[in-house]
Amino acid sequence: MSARWRTGSPGQLLLAAALASFLFLFLILPVATVVYVAFTEKGTGAFTLVNFADFARTDLFVRSFWNSLYVSAMTVVIASAFALPLAYLTTRFEFRGAVLVQTLGFLPLVMPPFVGAVAMQLLFGRNGSLNLVLDDLFGFKIGIMEGLNGVILLQAIHYFPFILVNLSTSLRSIDRSMEEAGQNLGAHGLRLFRRIALPLAMPGYIAGASLVFVKVFDDLATPLLLNVKEMLAPQAYLRITSIGLADPMGYVISVVLIAVSVLTMWLAARSMKGRDYATAQRGGGGLAKRTLGPREAAIAYAIVILILLIVLAPHVGLLMLSFATVWSFSPLPDGYTLAHYTRVLGESSIYIKNTLLYATLAGLIDVVVGGIIAYLVLRTRVPGRQVLDWAATAALAVPGVVVGIGYLRTFYDVKLPDGSSLASAWIVIVLAVAIRRLPYALRSAYAALQQISIALEEAAENLGATKTRTVRRIVIPLMTGGLLAGFVTSFATASVELSAVLMLVQTNADAPLAYGLYVFMQTPAGRGAGAALGVIAVLIVAIGTWLSQRAVDRSQRAHGLDL
Amino acid sequence: MLRSTLLVTTLLAVAAWPAAAQTGKVTVVTSFSKDVTDPLKRAFEKAVPGATLEVQNRNTNAGVKFLEETRSSNQVDLFWASAPDAFEVLKSKSLLAAYKPKARGVAEKVGSYPVNDRDGFYSGFAASGYGIMWNERYVRANRLPTPKDWQDLAKAPYFDHVSISQPSRSGTTHLTIETILQGEGWEKGWRTVKEISGNLRHVTDRSFAVPDAVNSGQVGFGVVIDFFAFSSQGAGFPVKFVYPTVTTLVPANVGIVANAPNRAGAEAFIEFLLSPAGQETLLEPTIRRLPVRPETYAKAPAEYPNPFKDQRLQSLLTFDALLSERRTAPVDVLFDQLITFQIDALKATTKALHEAEAALAKKDNAAARKLVSEARDLVAAMPITDAQAASPEIRAAFAGGREKTARQAELEQQWASFAKERYAQAKAKAEEALKLAR
Amino acid sequence: MTPTERPAAPVDVRIEGVELAYGTTRVLKGIDLEIRPGEFFAFLGPSGCGKTTLLRLIAGFAEADRGSVRIGGTDVSGRPPWKRDVGLVFQSYALWPHLTVAANVAFGLEERRVPRPEIERRVQAALELVGLAHLAGRRPSQLSGGQQQRVAVARTIVVEPKVLLLDEPLSNLDAKMRVSVRRELHALQRRLGLTTIFVTHDQEEANSICDRIAVMEAGSIRQVGTPMELYERPANLFVAGFLGAANILDGTVASGAFTLAGGARIPLAAGAVPPPGAKLMFRPQHASLAADAPIAGTIVHREFLGATVRYALRVGESDVVVDVPFQSGGDLHDVGAHVGIALPPERALYLAD
Repeated sequence: MSARWRTGSPGQLLLAAALASFLFLFLILPVATVVYVAFTEKGTGAFTLVNFADFARTDLFVRSFWNSLYVSAMTVVIASAFALPLAYLTTRFEFRGAVLVQTLGFLPLVMPPFVGAVAMQLLFGRNGSLNLVLDDLFGFKIGIMEGLNGVILLQAIHYFPFILVNLSTSLRSIDRSMEEAGQNLGAHGLRLFRRIALPLAMPGYIAGASLVFVKVFDDLATPLLLNVKEMLAPQAYLRITSIGLADPMGYVISVVLIAVSVLTMWLAARSMKGRDYATAQRGGGGLAKRTLGPREAAIAYAIVILILLIVLAPHVGLLMLSFATVWSFSPLPDGYTLAHYTRVLGESSIYIKNTLLYATLAGLIDVVVGGIIAYLVLRTRVPGRQVLDWAATAALAVPGVVVGIGYLRTFYDVKLPDGSSLASAWIVIVLAVAIRRLPYALRSAYAALQQISIALEEAAENLGATKTRTVRRIVIPLMTGGLLAGFVTSFATASVELSAVLMLVQTNADAPLAYGLYVFMQTPAGRGAGAALGVIAVLIVAIGTWLSQRAVDRSQRAHGLDL
Repeated sequence: MLRSTLLVTTLLAVAAWPAAAQTGKVTVVTSFSKDVTDPLKRAFEKAVPGATLEVQNRNTNAGVKFLEETRSSNQVDLFWASAPDAFEVLKSKSLLAAYKPKARGVAEKVGSYPVNDRDGFYSGFAASGYGIMWNERYVRANRLPTPKDWQDLAKAPYFDHVSISQPSRSGTTHLTIETILQGEGWEKGWRTVKEISGNLRHVTDRSFAVPDAVNSGQVGFGVVIDFFAFSSQGAGFPVKFVYPTVTTLVPANVGIVANAPNRAGAEAFIEFLLSPAGQETLLEPTIRRLPVRPETYAKAPAEYPNPFKDQRLQSLLTFDALLSERRTAPVDVLFDQLITFQIDALKATTKALHEAEAALAKKDNAAARKLVSEARDLVAAMPITDAQAASPEIRAAFAGGREKTARQAELEQQWASFAKERYAQAKAKAEEALKLAR
Repeated sequence: MTPTERPAAPVDVRIEGVELAYGTTRVLKGIDLEIRPGEFFAFLGPSGCGKTTLLRLIAGFAEADRGSVRIGGTDVSGRPPWKRDVGLVFQSYALWPHLTVAANVAFGLEERRVPRPEIERRVQAALELVGLAHLAGRRPSQLSGGQQQRVAVARTIVVEPKVLLLDEPLSNLDAKMRVSVRRELHALQRRLGLTTIFVTHDQEEANSICDRIAVMEAGSIRQVGTPMELYERPANLFVAGFLGAANILDGTVASGAFTLAGGARIPLAAGAVPPPGAKLMFRPQHASLAADAPIAGTIVHREFLGATVRYALRVGESDVVVDVPFQSGGDLHDVGAHVGIALPPERALYLAD
């Protein structure tokens, strides 16, 4: 074993260096230009930690910090309550419509900005459909959308697919004999699930849950739309984007956000160290699926439909809103019309085209970069590979507005050959979105690579294939499924990304859908049109997801993988 | 795209109108919605052949931030928004270029507000009035009276039914607060603001979130700028609007950005906005701004408010823009620390006060009345005076930059605990008063 | 009470008319079997013969389309796996990686709501029984293959199942381990007196430890018997070929003799009635080589094995192996030599497919 082998081949080192430069240029540098203020003393610009002391001394921030922790933790609990039954029922039983459930269960992740919250208010708000009907019939209302509760509910609906997807994948990859051994020894039903399948699927659950926790901790849009400001991410956003204020606290909060997120991901990784069981036993055919009895089936469908009704409520509301003439203080809209769609399709086809282009490119960048990082970390000994991983993961925690401002600062003075600024080129929007969604693709690539036995690669090398050819002929084909899953997540969420985009859009001709939505949602007459645009966004993602899913299935069948 | 536009412009310039050579693509950053910008863009491009208006939609704050961040190689010709404060900030950062419009026949003042910046860095092209908007279905369902004045909103029935946006997030709300402060004086003005705020349902972080919440019926009343209400009515929502007896007229402004890449185009756009054709476009139902040319009102529909004739819209104080600019940050931060982020405490106190006063109305009690009055004073108390708010020390804390002064976070924490303490004391007094009155 | 202290009375397993098809593929084509109480029984056959499916059917992981499974006289068909009291040791062992060795073994007792102190006692006893008490706190991933296998056995027997099922339990072990582990298994089964069914594709494994064997092929049982019976009196060519080396030669039956394709006649032993389409089968050690013997062949290969010398011959279109005892100083036939094969009629078996 030569020293070369231990530190990585020149090719690997080159790849790692290229990725490091990419991350440095498009993540670390822009973010650093923004957040370094957090560490400087007012007036002198000298290094100081006094701003963090201010953070700890300010009631508002401390309160916001605890609120954010509480909301994130509760969201994980509620999201688990949505995800667990769906994952359990669809993976454990012969469940007609399991694919549909899994697909519908992915949709909430695609919640177009603004309109999702508006739709939820119209349905479940203080004077939403539900409460108006309740008040009319029984004379009381329930405050499910009030304050932190509303944030928790909406966030749980929005992000539970992360748990559903990861948990389902883990459950499916458990060797069937694991459960059979339990049955053989007398366990069955929920108890068996709780004692055997669930602990074995823990890595998937933890991966999903930690992602949910971090996303909720860092999300500013949902709380703000529900007028909840006393949380960290909204505080950071409000301070960073207020005019005339030059104080560092917004950036201090950003640093806190990044630190908490990285810490969470680290703890999650640590708690799962050496416990990646699901991948230890590959090829066991997954859990045996049981047929449900008629009574069981009735209960199971009731549960699934109830959960789907809740989690798809924003989308249902959105759909209604997109067809509504006027919807104000009434359980249902006053009337229905197609006018919003006519308007949107007439005015906004450029947004749709741009969105498809940007989200596809961002997804591709993420899959390539994520795939390479996963390979470097899991299969090579390139020094500093772990740093690449953490840097890419940290992108999860950087508020979009920080990325946006960072990009403006870093790239505005970079001139393109035709004299225009790099920051005004649309590719910068793509890069910003790609960086923000990189962690999703990275996690998928990890999972995919971990499931490939290293023996398969060794066999190829043993037969004379070089590292590069092994990657091309063995690793990439086998990873296709995971990479495509990563692409779908990146693509889907990138297509509704707003915060970084809003800062970077320079011309209407380059604007993606989320920006169009923002513009529509600033006018009373634009609400229906915004909803229509939101529906189109969801459709685009749904079709994109479906196509990718089909491609995954095909490629896996082609490679003889029955997942 | 850019190149082809330039080509077309050049061809047009050779062939026809001399002014066309100076137009081409005009880039504008604006907080105005599509409903406003689209008709004006169409009219402008029709009036000035060869010109295209490139609209970048950002809210006022983000727009200012954007110009700040990109000043090194600015690509924007015009900044186009309501809040004069935003223009003052841009002006103070040397991000605007002076320009004196050539158009004749534009009024010097709308109401009592000067139309143009005294230093010539930005020009008013329209005005809007602030007022109260409400959802009729909501009001009917909750059997609420309709308000006529700002002070009405402080009354007990409106508790938990009102919405407003943060002045730190909405230039126009800031102007309303500032107008109240200038009109009633620092102490009394804040008292009014806090009394109204005690009835708030929530404080939003976007101007449009207020009419949006009223439109959908999530809140009953909103403090909004008139065109939000008018365009909501235009979209069919069951909403009504009233100008309070003391209202503010807010000019909508436009200014040329320093180092504009297309200065000539920028000037052409300003001239268009002030031209009779441009002013008439403002009357369109989706725009509904008040023109600054008095003669344009002749073409306005019946009952269109006319600040040049309507007595109510004229009897206003003279707005001191300089004073306003000097204390912009302290006023915003005071509002946020005393109201936005203390909203639960403030509401609880206000509720207790409403209950105590209701009890007193049934059965008077001198001691209780005294307690209520003390409680109201506690709520109204301010951590700093107006002189302090405009002082260099306080302003410097928010200005960042060169001097080593108190940090913003320190001041905020002081002000927040000041308010928290007093609201708690006031609540205790109000509850005591309620006990006495029973 | 531990498994070693007081073995429960062993039960029998009866499989009656069991048929199973997955779609159009018939996996089990009508299986009838009786496994006696306390017997160490093997399902032996090549991969794909249905032996594992039959085992899973007994354990309740597959359901027969027709037929029944009775354990100790009780029909358990339709009962879920957790109500069958049948212990299964998986081919992969299926040890739960998230639980320690002790927790793995305790699982079944916990499911049976056994009181905690008793669980501890029985887990300890079961681990001692397989000699792994010192590894109770380890995780399965920290054990060797043989150790994992013993944990899997301990986990299964600790709940005192009525029947023990072993699914290729030795296939994941190296050759040396296999021999010692199979002896341990055998000893353990004897000590527990537990009715045990063992699935394997390796005839040597089955022969060495099982009381009786069911030889399976393509979803059917071809023969049931003790290892000796199967070897000595295979019922058909498949069984003959699967257990031990067998020479098979084509020919026809006519007038009290079997005539090979090359013309050689072998008289039928008294009472022998070859079934229709029968072929001649004999074991290599039952024939001898002589110049004037009736079956003519050519030696193509010779191996010296110590106690015997193995000759590979070409007889017409067929290959034949003959083992001859080695005698010091005796003459050996050379490769290429034409010799005759002598076969006592009573050693010739006439079997059909």
